[in-house]
Amino acid sequence: MFSKLIFRNSKRNRKDNGLFFSSMLICIVAFYIILSLKNQDVMIFLEKMESDAISRLLSMIPILYAVTLFLLFFLIYYAGKIQLEKRKHELGIYLILGMRRSKLFVLLLLEDIQGSMMALLVGLPIAIFLSEMISLVTARVVGLGIIGHQFSVSGGAILWTAIGFFLVKLVAFLLLGLMIARQQIGNLLAVAPDGARKQLPKGIYVLAVFMGAILLAKAYYMGISGQSWRDFKQMGMTMIFGLAGTLLLFFGLRVVIGFLIQIKRNRRLYVYNFRQIEEAVIYSSGKLAISSLLVLAGLGSFGAGVAVGSAYLQTVQHISDYTFTADYATINHGLISHHLDSYFSDLFEVKIGLMDGDNQDKEELLQMKAVLQELEKLPKTKEQTILLKHLRRETRPYLISLSGYNELQRLAGQPILKLKEEEVVIYQHPDFTFGKELLNHIFAQKPQIFLNGENHYITGKVESLPLVTDRAITLAFALIVPDNKFETYTKGNYEIFLNGSLKSEWIQQKGLMGAVLEVNQKLTDAGIEYESYLQNMGRQLFYSVATSYLTIYLAIIFLVIANTMIGVQFLVNQQKSKKRLKTLIHLGADYQILCQSAKKQINWYFGLPVLIALISSQFGVRALLTGLLPGYLQQDLMQQLLISGIMIVFLGVMEYIYMILIKHFSNRYIFSLMEPERSE
Amino acid sequence: MEAILKVEKLSKCYGKLLGKTQALNELSFQVMPGEFLGIMGSSGSGKSTLLNCIATVIAPSSGKIMMAGKEVTALKGKELSNYRGQEIGYLFQNFELLDNLTGRENIMLPLSLHGISSKESAEKLLQLANYLDVADVLEKFPAQMSGGEKQRVAAARALILNPGIILADEPTGALDSYNAKILMEKLTGMNQREKATILMVTHDSGVASYCSRILFIQDGAIFHEVRRDYPAETQPQFYQRIIKVIARLGGGDVNVF
Repeated sequence: MFSKLIFRNSKRNRKDNGLFFSSMLICIVAFYIILSLKNQDVMIFLEKMESDAISRLLSMIPILYAVTLFLLFFLIYYAGKIQLEKRKHELGIYLILGMRRSKLFVLLLLEDIQGSMMALLVGLPIAIFLSEMISLVTARVVGLGIIGHQFSVSGGAILWTAIGFFLVKLVAFLLLGLMIARQQIGNLLAVAPDGARKQLPKGIYVLAVFMGAILLAKAYYMGISGQSWRDFKQMGMTMIFGLAGTLLLFFGLRVVIGFLIQIKRNRRLYVYNFRQIEEAVIYSSGKLAISSLLVLAGLGSFGAGVAVGSAYLQTVQHISDYTFTADYATINHGLISHHLDSYFSDLFEVKIGLMDGDNQDKEELLQMKAVLQELEKLPKTKEQTILLKHLRRETRPYLISLSGYNELQRLAGQPILKLKEEEVVIYQHPDFTFGKELLNHIFAQKPQIFLNGENHYITGKVESLPLVTDRAITLAFALIVPDNKFETYTKGNYEIFLNGSLKSEWIQQKGLMGAVLEVNQKLTDAGIEYESYLQNMGRQLFYSVATSYLTIYLAIIFLVIANTMIGVQFLVNQQKSKKRLKTLIHLGADYQILCQSAKKQINWYFGLPVLIALISSQFGVRALLTGLLPGYLQQDLMQQLLISGIMIVFLGVMEYIYMILIKHFSNRYIFSLMEPERSE
Repeated sequence: MEAILKVEKLSKCYGKLLGKTQALNELSFQVMPGEFLGIMGSSGSGKSTLLNCIATVIAPSSGKIMMAGKEVTALKGKELSNYRGQEIGYLFQNFELLDNLTGRENIMLPLSLHGISSKESAEKLLQLANYLDVADVLEKFPAQMSGGEKQRVAAARALILNPGIILADEPTGALDSYNAKILMEKLTGMNQREKATILMVTHDSGVASYCSRILFIQDGAIFHEVRRDYPAETQPQFYQRIIKVIARLGGGDVNVF
């Protein structure tokens, strides 16, 4: 009998709290995926090259896991408390029928354990399947190929997911269970009224909205101006302003809702819907504010993750797959003799040399007086000042031969540069492109410069294609000059880098990563020295994959917690409004009208915290980028718009799923009310 | 004159097989326009089931309910919600005001539910509020009103759409005698001046004495009927007659004269 009761209660709990159960499933899936990260194909691959970074990342995961468990604890505690409140009467009946308190405690504990077991039994297979899918998709996306994929189940991840999940549930349960088991039967049986909240004068709420908006604006400003990143104090202030601003804004929001009620539109149940929302705002402004902050945290993680992840992938344009440090003849001979020539196409030389000249100290070989003068004339900004400082130091530049650079241009699909005898083009490595807009503006006027005392002109725009595959050679400032001038000014003292690409059919067959890995092996066996794109790619890939995984994981956890909080809040309030709904039914409201009304309320319930979080996130992500990304990427407006777009789509999808889910539960509840109860 | 409400052989069973309870047993009666009809009976006699069937909150097991010539049990969708909202006005024992809406908003709720412009009924609202003495509490929330005020606001809500009949389920059940008296006087006034038709369930003989006719129900069937003899019979005399009927209810219909 006792076990039957546990089984039935547990089943009912899952049905009544479908939303909470679904959120638990998502958390289990997220836990498993992050804990089994090292089994992912891309991680196995990266471990070969970036083993230090990978082990650092993997050592971070338990900390991340613990933090999310901690956050999850609050959600479980909150949802569990509401669930027990709802069952108070039922529990009181058990006690009055003679059940001992200890037995009641055991009953609740076993129900909880059964619920958790169920969540794990459903969640883990989904998690394993999704983890495999993600592994395959990432392997395919990064060009690793999926041939070598092996199905893997991480026992450790399963174990830790189960342990963590059970632990959090158990701690939350112990606290809640003790609280319930200690209560007097009378208290359990009586329906505790909510108690009216004392309303303060309206002016205070208006002031709260006003202050909230000011504090948020201040936090936004500090974030995007970079002020927050100066020191811990500034960062702390930004956080406090943001936090207090959001809390105050939600606290005062009742004035705005009150105003909306006053409009008294003639829409069906308009006033009723807004009174319900007003009540939620009055009774749980703090919870709504926290939900909003959690959504913001989720969006921040996701936005910054997308930005940083894509920034690392974008940093270096991929043109060549290999660079050899010898001339064409030597390498070509080596490749042919080891039957490796068929793998390569487009072998070409890039020559780089330090400028040499007639004067003794070699310090005044480059003079850019006209450029500096033009720059000085421009309005004083931080960018202009730094640029001036940099350019003044450039007195003996590196030179790049035009023919080699044009080969790079051709492979990058860009028009080749045509230079007259006395014309030069400025080169900056993509990692150092600073003040590009300012420089291009000045170079448009073809300013005069002197190379070894000879008259030249800067033409075109700043060029920044990577010269070699590896990032070992990164020129912050160089001049691209015609080949004859290159020979003259370097006095024949230069280095030759031979770039080459793998044939496309070979890449298509094996995937870029697979092809590079195989050719690397062959080149090593043949004793030919090389630098491959793989080293770079590995590093970039590591950063992108690591940031993407971690931030998406965090974003999902934050959003799940926030949405569950909002959803549970709505459903609880709806159940508290049972009498009101019954009255509405008596007054002629049918199922459709009530569902429509609930739908509107749900839209507002989710809309308010999400909208405020979305506004804050637009500033928050910019602030994160200001602090986390190198300067050259911050100027990219398109990139930022794209990130905002992706963020909004991601959020939209999450919110849509949750809102559909809540509407489904709400409709089911309304439907249950349409069936009349016997009143006699 | 055509009856506004006709109830014919109405039956309602709850439960199945062994647990079956016959709440209404082939009950039939009529309500004429402008009539103030009381339904009395002990707890569990089927009074509220009857009222709920008429209000379409419960579907009867068999029988017919005709409201102004329309078969109520056959109504569906929009027609059904229009019937609930506009053709009947419902007065609950516990007022059932929405506690997060002001008095005015509560009264306007049926308009909002049925998509009727509030401007159209502004005058009616004022008239009702003045008559029912609730003009002062229109902007207050139910928690700030007395029991009597709450029930009078609920009455205004039941009347705002000029329903064909008002169904009152123990309307004074939660009121003290002073407020009960005020409410009954107001309802009687509405009945006499505006010719409002009222069907009221009660087990309070004093309250029932305001009615013009009373049906006594026992075990789901009409057991007896008394009619006030206007104007010869005063309210106290009618009250005495009701008391006598109730006193004899325990012995079955043989004891009733």
